[in-house]
Amino acid sequence: MIPRAEYRNRFLDPAVLAGISHLDLVAKTVVDGFISGLHRSPDFGFSQEFAEYRAYTPGDDLRHIDWNVYARTERAYLKRYRGDTNTQITILLDASASMGFASHAVSKMDYARYLAGSLAYMAHQQRDAAGLIVFQEDILQYVPPSGRQGHLARMFHAIGQSAPALRTDFRKPFLHFQQFLHRRGLVIVISDFYEKPGAIVSAINPLRARGNEVVLFHVLDPVELKPTLNGPAMLIDMETEDALEVSAEFARDEYRSRIGAHVDMLRSEAKGAGLDYFLIETDRPLDAALREYLTIRQGRM
Amino acid sequence: MGFLAPWFIGAGVLAAGLPIWLHLLRKYRTTPLPFSSLMFFDKRPQSSVKHRRLRYLLLMSLRIALLLLLAFAFARPFLSRASGTFGGRRLLVIAVDRSFSMRTRDRLARAKEQAIGALSRLGAGERGEVLALDSQVEVLAQPTDDASQLRAAIQSIAPTDRRSSYAELARNLRAIAEATRMPLEVHFATDAQKTSMPPAFGDLQLGPATELVIDSVASGTEPNWGVESVSAPAHIYDPKRSRVQATIAGYGTNAAHRTVSLVVDGRVVGTRDVDVPVNGRAAVEFPSLESPYGFHRGEVRIDSADHLKQDDSFPFSIERTDPRRVLFLYPSGSTRAPFYYRTALESAENAGFALDVVPAEDASGAVLSKFAFVVIADARPLNADLEQRLRAWVNAGGAVLVTLGPESAALAHVPVSGEPVQGTRYSPPEGERFRTVDDADQQHPALKDTNRFAGVEFYQSVRIDATGDHVLARLSDGSPLIAEKQMGAGRVIVFTSGLDNVANDLPLHASFVPFVVETARYLAGDQQRVTNVAVGAALDLHRGAHGGAADVIDVTGHHLLTLAEATTARVYTIPAEGFYEIHDAAGKVWLVAAHADRAESDLTPASPDTLALWRETGRAPVSAGPGAQSVESSGKLEFWRWLLLLAVIALLAESLVASRYLATEKELQHEPDRAAQFISAGR
Repeated sequence: MIPRAEYRNRFLDPAVLAGISHLDLVAKTVVDGFISGLHRSPDFGFSQEFAEYRAYTPGDDLRHIDWNVYARTERAYLKRYRGDTNTQITILLDASASMGFASHAVSKMDYARYLAGSLAYMAHQQRDAAGLIVFQEDILQYVPPSGRQGHLARMFHAIGQSAPALRTDFRKPFLHFQQFLHRRGLVIVISDFYEKPGAIVSAINPLRARGNEVVLFHVLDPVELKPTLNGPAMLIDMETEDALEVSAEFARDEYRSRIGAHVDMLRSEAKGAGLDYFLIETDRPLDAALREYLTIRQGRM
Repeated sequence: MGFLAPWFIGAGVLAAGLPIWLHLLRKYRTTPLPFSSLMFFDKRPQSSVKHRRLRYLLLMSLRIALLLLLAFAFARPFLSRASGTFGGRRLLVIAVDRSFSMRTRDRLARAKEQAIGALSRLGAGERGEVLALDSQVEVLAQPTDDASQLRAAIQSIAPTDRRSSYAELARNLRAIAEATRMPLEVHFATDAQKTSMPPAFGDLQLGPATELVIDSVASGTEPNWGVESVSAPAHIYDPKRSRVQATIAGYGTNAAHRTVSLVVDGRVVGTRDVDVPVNGRAAVEFPSLESPYGFHRGEVRIDSADHLKQDDSFPFSIERTDPRRVLFLYPSGSTRAPFYYRTALESAENAGFALDVVPAEDASGAVLSKFAFVVIADARPLNADLEQRLRAWVNAGGAVLVTLGPESAALAHVPVSGEPVQGTRYSPPEGERFRTVDDADQQHPALKDTNRFAGVEFYQSVRIDATGDHVLARLSDGSPLIAEKQMGAGRVIVFTSGLDNVANDLPLHASFVPFVVETARYLAGDQQRVTNVAVGAALDLHRGAHGGAADVIDVTGHHLLTLAEATTARVYTIPAEGFYEIHDAAGKVWLVAAHADRAESDLTPASPDTLALWRETGRAPVSAGPGAQSVESSGKLEFWRWLLLLAVIALLAESLVASRYLATEKELQHEPDRAAQFISAGR
C-alpha cells in the first residue's frame, strides 16, 4: 500500500501531471492533494474554516444557511468563513519561447501552466477573484479578475491556450497591465526571468508601489541551473535563434556561476523592492509553490 | 628493408584514416542544441574547445600509431642482409645447361666459358657453387671460396642426352636460398630453349633475394631436322608383316628433301626419300623388317646436314622370335569358344601367339612350361593332378585365363584360382533380358581399348565370391565380370561368362578382339619388359619374388651395375642414348633401346620477355633503395615482433589517455541529481 504522503506527492509530481490532458483536472488534482495533506500541518490555516454566524437576510445564498442551527432555533443563520475575503489575484504568465525549454518530460511552460492553473483553482476555492495575463513581448491574453461561477473555466482555457513563442519583454506588458489593475491585490508573476534583474524589478516595482503584493515565481529547468554537456555543443538561443559553440567545461564551471549569480541578484533586488521571490525547478512537486502562495495569502487576511 | 606481405601497408593506411575521421570530422561536428537563453554564454568557450581538440589530437595520434604499427607488423617487414648492409655476404651460383640440345655446335663449350667468366664475380670472402642442369640438377661443387675448384667443376661438365628443365633449376635455387639464408647471384649459361620452360610459369618462381643472370649461348633460331619418333614392334614373329614407321621433323627449317635409312645391327636394310615441309613433319614407313632370330639393334637415320647430329638417328630394339604358344583347354564337344578366341587372336597384327587347342580331358600330360599362358574355357572340374600342376606353375610365374560357362555352375570353386562359386545368374527374355557392364577399370592393361564393353549384352554369368581379388569389371547387377587374382609370381584372370557367343554376344562386338589380345599380352607379360624408352626412364629389374642377380650391359660390353647394385637394385635409370642388355632378377634377358627426349630437337629459344619475367621473380616485392633488388637477402631479419611490442605500448598509452577523458565524461554524466542530456525543447 502506498503511504499517504507518497500518494499525495505522487500526484503533485510534474511528470505525473504531464499525463493528465485537461488542465482543470491537473489543478484539481494538485490542489486537492495538497490540501488534504495540510490537515496535519498546524502552521497553515485552512482558508474555509468557520469564522462566525450571520443572520440571514433576503438575497443571501441559501446554500450557506446552517440547517442544524435552524432546526434547533428556527432562525436562519449563515456560516461565514475566513476565506471569504474577496482578494483579487492576478497571475502573469510568461509565454516566451524560452519557456518551451525542457530537459525532461515537463517543460517550463507546462510547469508554469500547472502552477497557474493550480493557483487559479485554489483562489477559486477560497472565493478570491482571479485574473490572468499571458505575455511575451506584449500581452497575449487578458482575463479580468472575477470570482463568478464559470470564470475558472475561462481561466483554464486561457492558460491552456498559452504557447511559448517570441521573446520576453517585461516593460511593455507590465506597463499595459497597470492600466488594467484598478484594485490592489496579489500579483503572481510566473516566468524564467531571462532579463537583467534590475530591468525586471524596475518593470514590476510600480505594481508594488501601488499597494499590490507581488510574488515572483522563477521557473527554471534543472539543466538550466546545472547544464551538462558530453562535449562541445552548438547551442541555439530559443528566443533569438543565435548560435554559440560551447564547451562542456564552460557549461560546467562558468555558466553555473553566472546563472547562480543571476538568481542571487534577482532574489536580492526583489527582496529590496519588497517583492516576494521564489525559485522553483520544474522537476519538483508543486506543493512548495502552493505553500508559498498560502503563506502570502495568510498574511493578507 | 622489404615486406613479405606489403598489401597490409595499404590496408593500414586506410585504417589510419578511421581515427582521423572520428576525431577531426565526426567528433567535432557539434549537434545544435536548443537552449533557453545564451545570455550567460559568450565567445570565450572557443578557446576551451581548441584546448580540448589539442588533447584529442594526442589520443588520435596514439590510435593512428596503433593501427599503423599493427599494419606494419602484419606486413612482415624485414631488413635485407644486402652486401652493403651485412658485410657483403652472398652466394655465387653458377649453373650450366648440359642437356641434349647443348650438343649443337659448340654451345656447351661457350656455356662453360661464360660460366668461368662469371667466376670473376666471386668477391673476397664470398663463396660459389656450381650446378649442372638437365632434367635434374647435379651439384658439381659445393659452396666454396676456392675459385680453382669451381673452375675445375665447370670444366668437367659434359653433355647428356636428357632434356633440360628450368623448373627443376628454379626449385633447386629456392632450396639453396632457404638452406643458406643468403642472397644468391645466379649465372645460368644455357641455350634458353623454349621447350625447357615448364607448362606453369609459377614453377619458375625464384627465392626472394635471387638475382638471376641468364647467359644465353643461343644465336637466334637454329634450323634442325631430327627423327622425332619411331614405331617398331618389340617382337617380330613374321618379318613380312612387321613394319617400321618413323616421323621426321624439322624445327625452324625450310622445305627439304631428306633420305631416311633403316639400319639393323649397323647394316642399312632400307632407304626412303621424304619431303619435309617448312617447319613440319613427314612420315616414313618400312614395310618389312627382315632379321635373324634374337635381339637386334635397330636405328632410323636421316641425312640432316644440321648442327645437332645426335638427333639424326633414333634407336629401337627388336627381337625376332617364334610366336608364343597358348594352351587352350575347352570342354570336348564345344568348339565355339576356341573358334572365336583363335579368330580374335589371329586377327590382331603381330600378336605373336600360337594357340594349342586341347580338350580339357586330354590335357593331363601337358607340359606347361612351353606355354606363355593357359586358357580354361567354360571351366569344368579339372583333373586333380592337372589343377595341382597349374597352381604350381602359376605360383612360379605362369598365367591362366578362366572363363565360366553354363557348365561351370556345378563347380564348388573356380579352377586354379579357387574363388567359391555361388551359382549361375540368367537374365530371362521376359524379365530384364540382359545385363551390361556397369563398371570397368579402363586403366588396367588387360582392358585397354575395350571401351567398357559398350553394347555387349550378358545373358548368363556365374556368380563368384571375388573377395580379395581385383575386380576389373562388374555387371549391372553388381556381380564381378572380370576378376584378377595374384598367386605367387603369377596371376589368374577369371571371366565369369563365356566366349562362345551364347552366354553373351561379346564375340560379335568390337571390344572382343582388344579384350582377347590385351589379356593375352598381359598374361604373357609383355607389359613387364619395355624395350624402347627415353633417356632417364627407370627399368624394373623385377626384384620382387626373385633373389637372383640383375645386370645391365651397354653396347661396349661394360657392366653398369656394381656387385652390390646387381643384388639389391630394383630399378635401373637409363643414363644416355643407346642400347642396354638387361638381365633381370628373374633371369629374363632383353635388349632396351634408349633415345634422347626429342623435345630437345626444337632449338627455338624462349622469348626475351619470358626470360625477363623469370628474372623478376627473384626480386623482392618491396625494395629499400636503388640497386637493392639484385642483392637482397633471403637471410632476412624480420622485426614484426618489435612492431607488435610497440603496438602494445601504444595501446596502453591510448587506454590511459582515453580513460582520463572517459573519467571526465563519467563525472559529468553522473551529476547527483541530473540527467545528462538535453531533451528537445521544441514543445
